[in-house]
This record gives sequence, C-alpha cells and structure tokens, in this order.
Amino acid sequence: MSQIDVSETNIEYTVKEYKSDTKPIWCPGCGDYGVLSALYQAFADLNLPPEDVAVISGIGCSSRLPGYVNTYGFNAVHGRILPIATGVKMANPEITVIGTGGDGDGFSIGMGHVPHAVRRNVDMTYVVMDNEIYGLTKGQLSPTAHVGDVTKTSAYGSIERPVEPVKFMLNIGASFVARVNAGNPKHMAKVITAGIQHPGFAFINAVSPCRTFRGIDQKKVVNAQSYYLEEETDYEPNDITKALQEASSQEGLAMGVLYREERPTYDKLYQDLRNRAVAKGVPEIREILDRYIP
Amino acid sequence: MEHKDVVIAMAGSGGDGVVSAGEILVGAGASEGIHGFMLKSFGPQIRGGESSCRVRLSEQQVYSHGDRIQIFGVFSWDDYRQFRGEMEFTDPVVIVMDTADKTNEDEIPLDSDVERIVYSVPITDLAKEEAGTTQAKNMVMLGVLSELFGLPGEGIRQGIRKKFRKKKQEVIESNIAGFEAGVNYVRTEVKKVDDIQFTFTEAEPKVLMEGNEAFAYGALYAGCRFFAGYPITPASEILEWMSRELPRYEGTMIQAEDELAAIGMAIGASFAGEKAMTATSGPGISLMSEQLGLASMAELPVVIVNVQRTGPSTGIPTKTEQADLMQALYGTHGDANRVVIAPADVEDCFGVGVQAFYIAEKYQVPVIVLSDQYLGQRKETFDQSALLNGGNGAIKQVERLTPSGEELEDYTRFRITDNGVSPMSFPGIKDGMYQAAGIEHGEKGLPTSDKNVHEKMTAKRFQKNKAVAEELNFIRFYGPEDAEVGVLGWGSSKGAIKEAVLRLNEEGYSVKAAVPQILMPLPTKQLNQYVESLHSLIVAEISYSGQFYRYLKGELQFGDCEIKQYARVGGAAFNVEEIYNVVEQEFK
Repeated sequence: MSQIDVSETNIEYTVKEYKSDTKPIWCPGCGDYGVLSALYQAFADLNLPPEDVAVISGIGCSSRLPGYVNTYGFNAVHGRILPIATGVKMANPEITVIGTGGDGDGFSIGMGHVPHAVRRNVDMTYVVMDNEIYGLTKGQLSPTAHVGDVTKTSAYGSIERPVEPVKFMLNIGASFVARVNAGNPKHMAKVITAGIQHPGFAFINAVSPCRTFRGIDQKKVVNAQSYYLEEETDYEPNDITKALQEASSQEGLAMGVLYREERPTYDKLYQDLRNRAVAKGVPEIREILDRYIP
Repeated sequence: MEHKDVVIAMAGSGGDGVVSAGEILVGAGASEGIHGFMLKSFGPQIRGGESSCRVRLSEQQVYSHGDRIQIFGVFSWDDYRQFRGEMEFTDPVVIVMDTADKTNEDEIPLDSDVERIVYSVPITDLAKEEAGTTQAKNMVMLGVLSELFGLPGEGIRQGIRKKFRKKKQEVIESNIAGFEAGVNYVRTEVKKVDDIQFTFTEAEPKVLMEGNEAFAYGALYAGCRFFAGYPITPASEILEWMSRELPRYEGTMIQAEDELAAIGMAIGASFAGEKAMTATSGPGISLMSEQLGLASMAELPVVIVNVQRTGPSTGIPTKTEQADLMQALYGTHGDANRVVIAPADVEDCFGVGVQAFYIAEKYQVPVIVLSDQYLGQRKETFDQSALLNGGNGAIKQVERLTPSGEELEDYTRFRITDNGVSPMSFPGIKDGMYQAAGIEHGEKGLPTSDKNVHEKMTAKRFQKNKAVAEELNFIRFYGPEDAEVGVLGWGSSKGAIKEAVLRLNEEGYSVKAAVPQILMPLPTKQLNQYVESLHSLIVAEISYSGQFYRYLKGELQFGDCEIKQYARVGGAAFNVEEIYNVVEQEFK
C-alpha cells in the first residue's frame, strides 16, 4: 500500500479548482462539454481533494478529458481504461478513480475488459461518453451505431446490431448502472455524484451527441426521447427486471440510476484475503530462503 | 571408478513419477551439500503422457545440465522416444530398466550406438509387493540407483518423508518401503558390472531453487508489491509464487483477463506509486508491446519478464529458445526507450529481480527481463551465502525520486534534467497533480503535436538509457584477457559457454568468453575492449536467425577481428561439448 497522506482539511473546493488551464479541443456543440462540467460539479459537491482523484482515459474525443481536469490524470492507450484504473485503485484504494472514455474505446477495442471489471466490482466510476460514432478519427462506424447507419466505413448502412451499453451492463451484473443525457449537466452531476459514492463498479452511459458527424438531429432526438426515472414516483433502482424493462423501453430513453446494488468491492475483498494470508504467520522476507534449503 | 560429477536421467509416463523422483534426488544432494542441476521435460499432454528428467550431481559447483547421460533409468522405452532428440549418452551408458516393460536387453531402442551396461530390475513388481502399490515405482527406482551408484541415500529417505509430510503415515511408509525394496534388491540380487561410484564430501546444505522462483523472490525482496499476469508456459510459476506470497506482504497479485490487462494493471499501479511488474512468455509480450511504449512515453517504471519459449506463434511452449531478443530490444512502435537485462543462472535470477526494479524505479523506464524456459524451470543449487550478498553488487534497493516541496510549488512532471530523470509524483501527493500520457507531451505533461517538442522529449527519454549505461555495465568474463579467440553469448547460455571455456583453458587453449548482463543499453565500451585482443569471435546463441549476432554487428567495432556465428534453433539449451567443439575448430 502506498504511504498516502490523505489530507484532512477544511478546504471547500469549488468547481474552479478542478478546471485545468487547458482548453478542450472538442467541436462546438459537443456533448462532452456537458459531461466535463457535470464532472467538475460532482467533484465539488463531494468536496474531493484534487490530489486524491485520478481520472483515467483511453483514446478518442472523450478520452481527452483528463487533460481538462486539475486532478491526477492518465490519458493512456486505446481500450485499456479499465485495467489501468484497476491497477490504480488496487495500488491505492484511498484514491477516487474515474474512468472516462468513448463507446469505441469501451465497447469495441476495450470490450474484453468490461465484464472483468464488473465481476471484480472494482470501486470506480466509469463514464462512457456514447456518441455512436468515431469522432477523433473523423466519422467511422461505432459498435453502438444502429443498423442502417451510414458512416465513412458503412457506406451502405450498418448491418451489425449495436451493443446496447445499459442493457449489456445490467445483463453482466454491474452493481450500479445509470444513463444520463449530456445535454442536462445538472442531472448528470447528481448521477455522477451517486456513482462516485457507490461502493463498487459504477457504470454511467452518457448519451453525448456528436454534432460534427451525427448532425444537429442527434441531440434533438435524444432530448425528445429522454425521460427521468427520478420523476417516476414508483421507480426504485433495486429491481433488475424493472431496470431491464426500462433499459429496453420503446417509449424513450430512461435517464437516471436504473440499478444499484451493494456488493463487496474488489479492494475490500482483497484486504480480507490479505488478512487471511497474514493470519498464518508471515516470515521475514530474508527467511523465505530457508524454504529452499532441503 | 570414483565419480565426483554424475548425470542421471529418467524417462517414463506421467504416472511413473520420474520428475518427483528427480526432485527428491537433487534435493537429497543439496541437503548433503552436493551441487545439483535438474531439468524436466514433458510431452504435450496435460496429465499422463511422457515425462523425463535429468539430474546432475557434483561435489563442485556446476554451470550446466551436463551433456551426456551416464546413468539412464527407464520405465518405458516408448516414452523415451519422445525425448530421444534431447538425450545424448556416454559410452558406455548404464541403463536400469523395469522388466515390466517387456523389452529384451538386446532390443533396446536407444538412439545411440554406444555400449550399454544393462540392469533389468522388476521395478513394478517390487513396488506392488513391497510398497503395496505400483505408484511407488519411482521410489524403487531411486532405491536401485542410490544403492548401485552411491547416491546420497539418507538424504533421499529424508526427502521422501518431506515430500509426503502432509499425507497419511501409510503413504510415507509405503514410499519408504519402495525405496528400501530397491536398495535391498541391488544388495541381494545384483552383481555390479559397471564402474560408476559417486563420491562426495558432505558440506553445508545448498539452496535449491528454480529460476522463476528465484526471480519472484528477488522482485519481492526489491519491494515489488503489485503483480498482474496471465497464465502462460513457461512463466506461470512466477504468477503462482506471487499469488501465494504477495498478499502476505500487503501486496496485490491479480490474475488478469489477458496480457493486455496484465500490463495495464501493472502500469496503473506504478502510476499510483507502487513497484509493479508482470511476467509472461513471448506470445504475451506480443500483446503487451503497445503498452510497453505507453510506459516508455509516460515514463512509468514497470518490470516485464519474458520467460522465453520456442517460437514463433505457439511454437513449442515447453522448450527453450533465445529468439525474442529483437522483440525485447526494439518491439513496439516508435522510438521507445527501455532497458533489457538477462539473468544468466538461477542465482542470478534473484539478483536480476532486484536489479530490474532498481533500474525501473530509479530511471522511470520499462525494464524487460529476458529469462527462458531452460533457466526459469530448472532447479539449480547455490551456496546459502551467495544470494543476499549479491555476487556482483547488484542487490541494491531504491525508492522512486519524488518531488520536493519546492518543486511542488510549480510542479513540472517531465522537467528536462541532466540524466533525463525528473521527480515523479503520484496520486495522493498534494500539488503534484499531472497528467500521465501516451500522447506526446511537453515538460508539464500537456499534449502536443509539435515536432520540436517531440525531438526534445525523445532525447530526454533516451538520456536515461545513457545514464543507465554509465552506471551499470556488468559483464561476466571468463578466460585470459589476451586470448585471441573469443566467445560472446547472453542469458542462460552462460552455463555451457563458461564450462566449455574453462575446460578449453585447462587443456591449454587460449580462449575467453564474455556474457553481458544488460543487453540494452549494451556496454559497448567494455565489449569493444574485450574484442581488441581477438583474431576471431564466435557469437553463440539459440536463435536460428542470429539475432544477437545482428545486434552486435550494429553496436560494436570489430576492427580486424573475424566475427562468426554459431546460431541454432531452440528446443534444447546449449551443451558444453557443443560450444567446446565450435571453439576448438578455431584452433585447427
């Protein structure tokens, strides 16, 4: 375990403290701006010391995000957000670990890691900015694009069924699953705050329209389809069947926390394991040698 | 005749327990202060199938597995066929065979026309009658070998008790009964017709370890507390060892979902301030290569072990080769600095384990450790005092350079310094926030696509390799400095090269050898000096394409020295005789 001095201070952090000096490279109208400001707000609401936060990203428009946040950040390679975030969290469980990336990073090249971070229940928040297109490489087909979508690499329309991130995450047993609309930063900040507070793997799919490659209509459609679970008095996010129904709803896009369940986190389970290992007695490291003298 | 150095092999099917017998034998030797060396070899089957082992016992320290088998214990000649390419015999060879195999002595399918001295022993029958189970066949074999050749019987009895100490008393007794049955059979029924009698003076017990164990131990000793890996032959023992030990020392070992995740987790843990590593074999390194570049670019310390096996692709997972050298030196896209270091024997695996972390942490670079199957999975003895004293001064621990309070006032993570190393903060350190990035960045860590910044920062990263070269340049040298014929090899080939050169020197040949421990950055100054006295130099390596030869041609100045290749395909380690013959040719 690292020797961390988690400062107990009375400092009140405001949104300003989390902003870096770097200006985003995103296009005007990009949904990712909304996600970024919601993230600042969530950090401020939780009053997290910036030095105790690590934001890990991969490659894509949205993965540029750590550079715009004045916390620790890691803009790594394409598709490896979850392993790197797992390493950070397990090396130092005191750190609040946030993964931020896109639909291609998470559900195409990085898909192999998703079920494993979920089943380990790594205590982190994974925000996927889902624009259903590859923006950074300028307009190729995404795994979350719909059948029939014409992109630079699906000239005749996509013939592949999309990954549906929220349904997928519910089905593989994620302990916290939410959907947010990048056009509603206020709501988003609340959900991200809940995600960070959730002990375990919190998945948040941020529907984040791409004006450049999806046109102005994508945002309009998302706004028109959004409905908010918090406004439905009888919705409790503790029923997986209901959560799946909402995730599959033909009526529109359910926004908010769809499902939440408390389960032991990976770092807590690991600490239990260490305690069991230590219970049998621990030799000095030098003494291990004795085992190899027959 | 008295023998102070014997090579014994056994072959049988998986259930015959030849590997267990070999382990007990080499352990028995070590417990009585005898030096030992053991190789095991398996067929491709998961259980059952063929297996063989080779044990060398010697009063003196030995450096290799010993070329020719003097004593061969055979349960089944069918199983021997699988290994005949790996086995060479002395003339005569002494064979102990189980009569249950039903092969007549004059029909022995030995792939060699040496003279055979054969003892046919009803091993299976003795096991059934005296131990109550055919499972004790290997113990009967040990009894026969021990009594016939003067092997350390008391040590073997102790070894049997130790091996089965967690089993029921009956199991221990049955195995001991098997061993005694073999001993008694020789005493009462066998007339000794060969002249091999092993003799030794008892000494302080030796340490007996496998290379993979020694490496893992070295890493733990160096302060490694985070390991992520994915099972792969022949590196899994490191993963297994870490799984048992790391949690006991407040560490973390994760079996990742694949090698992409394994190195990602290690890099993440390193970013968070932990000494971290992963271990794999060639195929895993291929998957890790992209993130090797990430560690180089983001200047994150990480240790990556490659226990090489025969390639390419799946190749022969259970056999050795040295053909991942170029991959280690240059693998991954772009100009990615890294350090490559190769342990030479089991004891050195420990030292290199410590040193790899020393380099990674001090210089904030990825360090690739090139071990191989021959080294990782063999058992070898060394003196108790040798390990923690560190023969070559390599046993140095180090903590990462972190920023001072003053530096944190305007923290510049990638500040350009004389040796390229800039103080590194990690999550939790107030005012030390920065962005680690695979994207090119300036001194502050901000992304850039400016060609001039790329040039400056690339130079900074490679500056660290220059600093490593100045600090660390350990080379093993053997033979007289003014010799005119030289041998250059690397890694686990050291054993055969050393033994061959020492033998040649004893016979009056003026030969010298050099085996560098660090391959990147190559200690060119010292190696160029080594080459100066030479008329001819043989570059010996287990790589069909001659990767080391090609590398040296580009790095060293040979002047008038004629440089020759001895490069062959893997599947087996070098024999002493093989190197001896190649070098002796130079004198004809």
